[in-house]
Amino acid sequence: MTRYGMVIDTKKCIGCHVCAMACKTENNLPNDVWWNRILTDNGGEMGFDMVGGSYPDDLQFGYVPVACQHCENPACVKVCPVGATYKDPETGVVRQDYDKCIGCRMCMSACPYNGVRSFNWEEPAFHMDYAMGSKDAPEHQRHVVEKCTFCYHRTSQGIEPACMHLCVGRARFWGDLDDPTSEVSQLLAERSHKRLLEERGTEPSTYYLV
Amino acid sequence: MSEYMQGGALANDDLDFSAPRGRDHAAERSTAAVKSPALNVAIGVSAVAVLAGLALWFMQLTGGMVQTAMRNLDSWGLYITGFMFFVGLSAGGLIISSVPKALGIRGFGGISKVAVFSSIACTVVAIGLVVVDMGQPFRVWELFVYSNLGSPLMWDIIVLATYLILSCVYLWAQIQTERGKVSAVALRIVSVIALVTAVLVHSVTAWIFGLQQGHEMWHTALLAPWFVSSALVCGTALVMAVVIGLRRAGYLEVEQENVVRLAKLLGAFVLVDLYFFGCDLLTEGFPGGAGAEVVALLTQGPLAPYFWFEIIGCAACAVICLTPALRRNGLLVAASLLAIAGIFCKRVQLLVGGFQITNLDLPFAMNSMSVTYADGTLADAYANLVYWPTPLEFGVTLGVVALGFLIFFLGLKFLPLRPTEK
Repeated sequence: MTRYGMVIDTKKCIGCHVCAMACKTENNLPNDVWWNRILTDNGGEMGFDMVGGSYPDDLQFGYVPVACQHCENPACVKVCPVGATYKDPETGVVRQDYDKCIGCRMCMSACPYNGVRSFNWEEPAFHMDYAMGSKDAPEHQRHVVEKCTFCYHRTSQGIEPACMHLCVGRARFWGDLDDPTSEVSQLLAERSHKRLLEERGTEPSTYYLV
Repeated sequence: MSEYMQGGALANDDLDFSAPRGRDHAAERSTAAVKSPALNVAIGVSAVAVLAGLALWFMQLTGGMVQTAMRNLDSWGLYITGFMFFVGLSAGGLIISSVPKALGIRGFGGISKVAVFSSIACTVVAIGLVVVDMGQPFRVWELFVYSNLGSPLMWDIIVLATYLILSCVYLWAQIQTERGKVSAVALRIVSVIALVTAVLVHSVTAWIFGLQQGHEMWHTALLAPWFVSSALVCGTALVMAVVIGLRRAGYLEVEQENVVRLAKLLGAFVLVDLYFFGCDLLTEGFPGGAGAEVVALLTQGPLAPYFWFEIIGCAACAVICLTPALRRNGLLVAASLLAIAGIFCKRVQLLVGGFQITNLDLPFAMNSMSVTYADGTLADAYANLVYWPTPLEFGVTLGVVALGFLIFFLGLKFLPLRPTEK
């Protein structure tokens, strides 16, 4: 079985937000919609994009890029009343069918990773007069839930996800977690890693190297 | 035994909506309430409020749900709070009415039909509030075509629909029994089924929240029984307030003894509900950690006003209901209203509380779609209540609630809901 996963090296992430931009452009995301967000870790009281700790001894600067974790045991898929969000049997990627979504937002409250799912609260509007990114990216609809598709339109053709393509620090890796020879599997075998909110039992397919 | 056993002699009322027939019956039975101008005004006012609500809902659908205060990090709001609340409110009537019949014990003096009808009205409101919460209400048919039977929301839709139909059947069966057209045994069977469905409806509604491992505050096995107990509290309170009110309006006559028995029952239910709250707080708070955060949020955080209102209101309600000297009608109505408001506060705590604690408490670049108050930092957004409804949400909710009132008033006017013992 193929199980696509992503490995993010937090030691290489410089917090440049280029992956978030790449995602937004590739998928032609409407205004104020971000499927991929860069959370600031240890930002201290200053918060977003800030350094935590105190100079010079324990200054900390860290980022956690968070998009859909494409869980092995996804909480969202179980609760969707119409099966609009589902696990792709061939890749293990959690997908979303916009045409089916009834907009009940049950998946949004079920997902423990707050904010990776976004609802189009208004008619999708765009800064550009023309569509950006891939022509294969599905069209956006009002009042439905969307999220990271693991760039299904790219990965299904063997192309890497957009977020990874432009990553300046080359901190992102993708591949088949079930294949022990894949780059991701080997990285996980070599390096110590963690997953987000592991205690919730969702078995995310996104790993963070620490 | 209770009224349905001797009902045959009084069987001369039809489920007939035509005015002339109604006038014929006026000779035999007091129709003061049916002819009451106040009732007509109430029907008119509710109808106007329903229309206003519909207009606002249309606004929400055309202009987008961006007009509500709900956002990605607090994706449910007043509508779902109201949904939980009205599902609970609908319990009382049905349970008060069906328990005596199901168990063959003494009833509450002929208020059974009014009680069940209040259940029907509340269930319609609950369903209505889910519909207005949906982003794509015109895709509602998909629920029946692509049903994912593993989803608690799907269970709730099935159980709620069954519950609504069953309540109507049960009401019809009671009326028919009084006319001798349905046997007492059959009515008893219907009442048992109705009772089981009522308990299921509250449990399943609780599971929509309680089965989500993502929210510390919701994820507890106690949630289902607790929803049942809260439902019993506000449902019984509603029935008591309605019965005292209708008696005062001259619509029906009920022995004070029966009101007192309702009050005692309400007092007991309130104590059970508070006991559950105590158990939950202790279990959350004792180990420390994330659970203690929930306790702090309720007792001294942004939700404290709702928490303390519920605790003090429910305690006061219990004192009034369980102290014989205090069981005066005015105070009993006040106690009922306190209990209903208290349970509403409980619903607010549950819903907003579920979103008030974030699992990934790390700042990110927020915008107007992220969270209700996105102007400041992430910490600012959560400093007070993370969500507060917009006027549009209040308006739409009011419209849906008015639909419940409209149905109830129409029932009072056109259906034979009054006791038939006399």
